[in-house]
Amino acid sequence: MTILRRVFAGICDLLNELSDQNAYARHLSAHAREHSPAEWRRFTDERFRAKYQRPKCC
Amino acid sequence: MRFLTRIAWAAVACVGAGCMGAIAIDRGEPVNSAWLVVAAICTYLIGFRFYAKFIATRVMALNDERATPAERLDNGHDFVPTNKWILFGHHFAAIAGPGPLVGPVIAAQFGYLPGTLWIIIGGVLGGAVQDFVILFASMRRDGKSLGQMAREEIGKVGGMVALITVLLIMIILLAVVGLVVVNALAESPWGTFTIAATMPIAVLMGLYLRYWRPGKVLECSAVGFLLVVASVMGGQWIAASSYAPAFTLAAMTIAIGIIVYGFLASALPVWLLLAPRDYLSTFVKLGVIALLALGILAVRPEMQMPALTRFVDGSGPVLAGKVFPFCFITIACGAISGFHALISSGTTPKMITREWHTWPVGYGSMLLESFVAVMAMIAACALEPGVYFAVNSPAGVVGKTAQAAVTTISSWGFPVTTERMADLARMVGETTLFNRTGGAPSLALGMAHIFARGGGGEALLGFWYHFAIMFEALFILTIIDAGTRVGRFMLQDLLGHAWKPLGRTSWMPGVVLSSAVIVSGWGYFLVQGVRDPLGGINSLWPLFGIANQLLAAIALSVATTIILKMRGPKYMWITCVPLAWLVLVTFSAAWQKIFSSAPRIGFLAQASQIEAALASGSLSGAAAAQSRTLIFNARLDAVVCGVFMILVAIVLVDSLRLWYRIMSGAQDRQVFESPFVLSNLRSEEV
Repeated sequence: MTILRRVFAGICDLLNELSDQNAYARHLSAHAREHSPAEWRRFTDERFRAKYQRPKCC
Repeated sequence: MRFLTRIAWAAVACVGAGCMGAIAIDRGEPVNSAWLVVAAICTYLIGFRFYAKFIATRVMALNDERATPAERLDNGHDFVPTNKWILFGHHFAAIAGPGPLVGPVIAAQFGYLPGTLWIIIGGVLGGAVQDFVILFASMRRDGKSLGQMAREEIGKVGGMVALITVLLIMIILLAVVGLVVVNALAESPWGTFTIAATMPIAVLMGLYLRYWRPGKVLECSAVGFLLVVASVMGGQWIAASSYAPAFTLAAMTIAIGIIVYGFLASALPVWLLLAPRDYLSTFVKLGVIALLALGILAVRPEMQMPALTRFVDGSGPVLAGKVFPFCFITIACGAISGFHALISSGTTPKMITREWHTWPVGYGSMLLESFVAVMAMIAACALEPGVYFAVNSPAGVVGKTAQAAVTTISSWGFPVTTERMADLARMVGETTLFNRTGGAPSLALGMAHIFARGGGGEALLGFWYHFAIMFEALFILTIIDAGTRVGRFMLQDLLGHAWKPLGRTSWMPGVVLSSAVIVSGWGYFLVQGVRDPLGGINSLWPLFGIANQLLAAIALSVATTIILKMRGPKYMWITCVPLAWLVLVTFSAAWQKIFSSAPRIGFLAQASQIEAALASGSLSGAAAAQSRTLIFNARLDAVVCGVFMILVAIVLVDSLRLWYRIMSGAQDRQVFESPFVLSNLRSEEV
């Protein structure tokens, strides 16, 4: 059960990383800010600008 | 190593060698795909445990005491220490595109053996080594890009050539993946409706995330996924309704639609369309790959395609050219892909927590990608060969009518009937499956068969087929959108040197102009592919393969230079051997594509043949005008191919000159690594 729980936790962590939700949590903690719609928009504007300047793999 | 562990590894090696021998020697009876799966997994395990570890310890001297850029430069943004398994998934999601799925399907025309051996051996000795060494090198240089490393380690010429090569590859890549989508959707109301529906769904997701539920990406993606599945089901209803004609579009109409879409999408705000679809396509991609792996393990389909077909002689209907060198450029991403070097020197090196994490992340992710390519090969070869060739052969080769096609294909020794093809088309909800070149439809057909056998049976074949088409088109459209945008940034970067306002990414005239230039570039090649009587894939896929492998040659030149500077010539062979192989393969393929006297292979011979037909007066009116375009296109393709060869030859000569100077002692072995800083991370923080 412990192994299954760890695998499930790992998958959840991966999904959070791929969905940028982890990055957003890090952003809030690094800038000591609370979540708000405006903060999310500020975060994504900056993140997407950097993310979509790199080519996607074939 | 303990005795029992040695015994276990010896057993893995023996089982792998046995399975590899079985698939290589067995002839006649169909081989079960389980042999391929076990051979691949055992080879990957041996490669990962022994070869990669040897490189990590002897060549790179990975050191967990050394602080990585993620630790030293941690800003909670780009530089973030990340759990190695999360980073493994992140990196794999970034490198996995349509290449490892489509390439093996096209190469299946040679039989399953050449492609499978290249995927497994090329992956272990070439692709994974390239990704691993470049990731390591970038990590030791604070996450520098491939171009920056080429400039610093080889010289200014190398850096500039790498930038231009990437831009040219992007243009060919976007055209060829666009063509894959066009061929999958042409005359298919079900498929066209499903893909058309993904656009408003993505916009809805964008608004949901921006205004209604900011930050809830997983929740939003789950809603998006349900809507996409509903659109796959809705497509079946549309195809049977009076709305079907509105979604039954010719290939050229779809191509123009994709070009217009690419232009608009690259200029729209990222949050509205690109980002939400990117999230969705990433999750769908990982989910479908996992589902395919489970399906293959559960169903263990038999390989209907022979180990080697008669088309190893170069007369293949899907792609003209002999097995050497064309099999090795047709399969790029599953074995070795230059594009991966851009990802390995992009985000990933900035997130590595410990130096030893580059081992699973850099080397291991590529092995997983290689396994995806093996699964694609299994899906294609599990189809009856006659069906495979009927789907993948262009009308220009097998004939324009169904009867002509089955007669030609059956005469090759791959029996197929019009009734069988009609049955299949009916089961997947298409009017016809003949001449659906590009690899995506036959892959979808193979996947649908595996999924349907895993559950649901033939009743669900249509759903699974269109689900697979949706999955392929979803991330191809994301690549087109993101690629056009990236190409625009690159072009603006170059144009900014000529006139500063053109370099500003917020200046609308500059944005529109540069987007139009990039879209025109790939759009031209896409239209060329649609008009090509040989199906387009025959010309464009080799161009893309050559370009991608040449980028890998640049990456391996950088890697060899770094290894030479770090350890002297003793370990140069690690990257030099795959480099030499790639140079041999790509230059001979490029040479043949330009100068071969066979019109289906050589661009110049093709132009001459059409020119001769034009001069003889056998063509007139519209046919004559189209022929002039075909002549121009063939010559343009020859020029593009030649430019790729020249660009890479420049980097190779520059590298060879540098290696000679280093080995003769005329130049010191200065590496441009960041200085050593002791790591402060405790083990529980890793």
